[in-house]
Amino acid sequence: MTNLATVPIARLGAPASAPEAEPRRRWLRPAPDAVPRARRRPRIVYAAVAIGGIAIIALAQLLLTIGLSDGAYQVSAQQAKLKDLSRTNQALSEQLTAFSSPQNLVQNAQALGMVANGNTVYLRLSDGAVLGSPAPATSANAPITANQALVPNSLLQPEPVKAAPIPDASSAPPAAAPDPSVPWQGALPSPQTH
Amino acid sequence: MTIAVLIIVAVVSVFCVRLVDIQIVQADSLNAISLASRSDSTVTLGTRGDIVDANGVVLATSILRYAIEADPSAVAEFERPGPDGTGEVKVSAEQAIGELASVMGLEPSVVTAIVTADPTSRYALISKSVDVTTYNAIRALDIPWLYYKADQSRTYPDGSVAGNLVGFVGADGSALAGTELTQNACLAGSDGSEVTETGEDGVAIPGSTVTLKKAVDGGKVQLTINADLQYFAQEALAQRVTEVGAESGTVVVTEAKTGKILTAAEYPTVDPNNVDATDPAFRGAKVFSDPFEPGSTFKSITAASLIDAGAATPSSQVMAPYEYKSGSAVIHDSFFHPDMPWTLTGVIEQSSNTGISMLSNNMSVDQRWDYMNKFHLGKPTEVGFVGEDSGDILPGGVSGPTQLDDQTIYNTTFGQGLTVTAVQMASAYQAIANNGVRMPVQLFEGCKHEDGTVTDAPPTSTGEQVISPQAAQDTVHMMESVATTGYAADALKIPGYRVSAKTGTAEMSNGSGAYGGAYLTSMAGMAPSDDPQYVVSVTIRKPVTITSGLAAAPVFQKVLSQALKTYRVQPSTVPAPDLPTTY
Repeated sequence: MTNLATVPIARLGAPASAPEAEPRRRWLRPAPDAVPRARRRPRIVYAAVAIGGIAIIALAQLLLTIGLSDGAYQVSAQQAKLKDLSRTNQALSEQLTAFSSPQNLVQNAQALGMVANGNTVYLRLSDGAVLGSPAPATSANAPITANQALVPNSLLQPEPVKAAPIPDASSAPPAAAPDPSVPWQGALPSPQTH
Repeated sequence: MTIAVLIIVAVVSVFCVRLVDIQIVQADSLNAISLASRSDSTVTLGTRGDIVDANGVVLATSILRYAIEADPSAVAEFERPGPDGTGEVKVSAEQAIGELASVMGLEPSVVTAIVTADPTSRYALISKSVDVTTYNAIRALDIPWLYYKADQSRTYPDGSVAGNLVGFVGADGSALAGTELTQNACLAGSDGSEVTETGEDGVAIPGSTVTLKKAVDGGKVQLTINADLQYFAQEALAQRVTEVGAESGTVVVTEAKTGKILTAAEYPTVDPNNVDATDPAFRGAKVFSDPFEPGSTFKSITAASLIDAGAATPSSQVMAPYEYKSGSAVIHDSFFHPDMPWTLTGVIEQSSNTGISMLSNNMSVDQRWDYMNKFHLGKPTEVGFVGEDSGDILPGGVSGPTQLDDQTIYNTTFGQGLTVTAVQMASAYQAIANNGVRMPVQLFEGCKHEDGTVTDAPPTSTGEQVISPQAAQDTVHMMESVATTGYAADALKIPGYRVSAKTGTAEMSNGSGAYGGAYLTSMAGMAPSDDPQYVVSVTIRKPVTITSGLAAAPVFQKVLSQALKTYRVQPSTVPAPDLPTTY
């Protein structure tokens, strides 16, 4: 193997136009070392960056895991809460639907002294005519009387929800005598829609 | 030196072999064991669908109930946080049992007996089903040897309102009766399952949930029933049935133009929340399943057929005797009278058996049977309700109407010797009320799924012209005379409305081929007569104090008034035609 280091540079192909006037022998020498100070500093920076990076990644991973598991506990707690709330919701809706059953409503309406009127009467807006035969409702001619024994609802056991107490008769407004004829005077109020 | 190297090599190779064994050879089975200890498999419940009325009022819905179980082997003293939230207090087993019993409303001795029956056992059932309030109270006791299991249960908020139609489910959740059974395919949900990996403390590891099977909720079944009207009818019927000392009764209300059943009331009716309280005979829907001989309310159907066939008109004349004999048949009227010159209208108004029998001679028996078939008698309705009966218009197993004996031929003109269900009767009247067009009977609006799609909706139908519009209107007008001048007229009047009705007092068969002296009184009709909107049919079985159509009349009047009020039907404006009843 030819030792290239020992070959004069000229032989390696110096420019043809190079003056050969002074045949000076020039030998290759080992390149001088880089300035030691300038090369040592980057190494520490790289190492610090690499190690720091790893540390940051590890820390981020740790925080992420902590966050995630913390979230899992939160999710678990919220799910338990949701379960509790939906249980409460169910208990309350069960009560509500039982309270809104016809048995309960009719019984309470009756306890308040309300009577359904069997006579249906309509007021015709076009000419103010009263259709049907108006008659006051009395408990004697009420079409039905609530009776839990006949149309039972065991959800209302042992007894239906109590309505507010019946107001004192003396404090109730005096019943106006019904006037079967309702004459209409003037134009009827009707919405002006186009 | 070499020996030391060799030892190290040997030890390292043993470790390597073991490592490969654990990590590769046994990896699968070890992973499975590990997963099993971490993973928690749960059943996700597919909720059974609701049953609602025409307005969305919930008649049946699913709720959670809790089973309370104990581990008797662990019953001992324990500690729980003090009442002020700080420190721990000791609770003895007796004290815990006492608290548990008082929350559950049981005797402490009962609970003690359950948990001490076998102290080595790991399982004892204290209660199969407690409600949410009780469950929360029990959990607040913090008793470590109790376990809970949630399970689906059914509740019926309106109790016995439409209980006959809604039906009920068994303790295991299986459908047993009514709509619950008829529409079970729609209502039933299917449970799903999922697996979650959990940590030591039972908290789920994020992202580890695997759904193996998705839970599917059941569909919602909507009925054509109006729950408020149904309640009204049940209450009115029940009061009348008890008043006249009867055994039972039914009320069916249908919409004349659509054939939808708005009310199908019965007394007694099962309260699906408490099935055991009702006699097993009354746990079903008798309006569909219990056929009966209708009696005189059937005369309207015979009259409508006669008019449609051109065999009679409302003014057709007949000299009706008290007793009419033809062949081997002997027909009597229900009250004694001399020979009366009645028109067909008069026959309907007076409910004369001899009159309708004689007029029906103008029409062949086969023809009459054709009309019965067109009125859809003798076959189940389109509803397809569980246990629905088809009624029987060929009594005695004879092969055809022409084979019937003389007595039965005449009896069938006034509704004896054949059977119909309450819904079939209401449907026949619906055809008369709707200008002769019979609409398919409808109880279900369809099955509404979670995603909003509706399946099993009944096909839209324009109905079937059973009799001509003229024949139908004539029949309605003839029936009006029952409500204006008939014997029950006072009980039938609805102020402002024209009402058409027909009374009925049928003799009930005693079950062995003879009539046993018990009656089924009925009333069927429609209003307003100038343009019928609602059809009401009432039957009261075996009344004691009143045995005529008067027993059923007040119920008919009240329910019809309520229907007219509920649906805001305007009072009649056209006066009733004055059809002559005599000549």
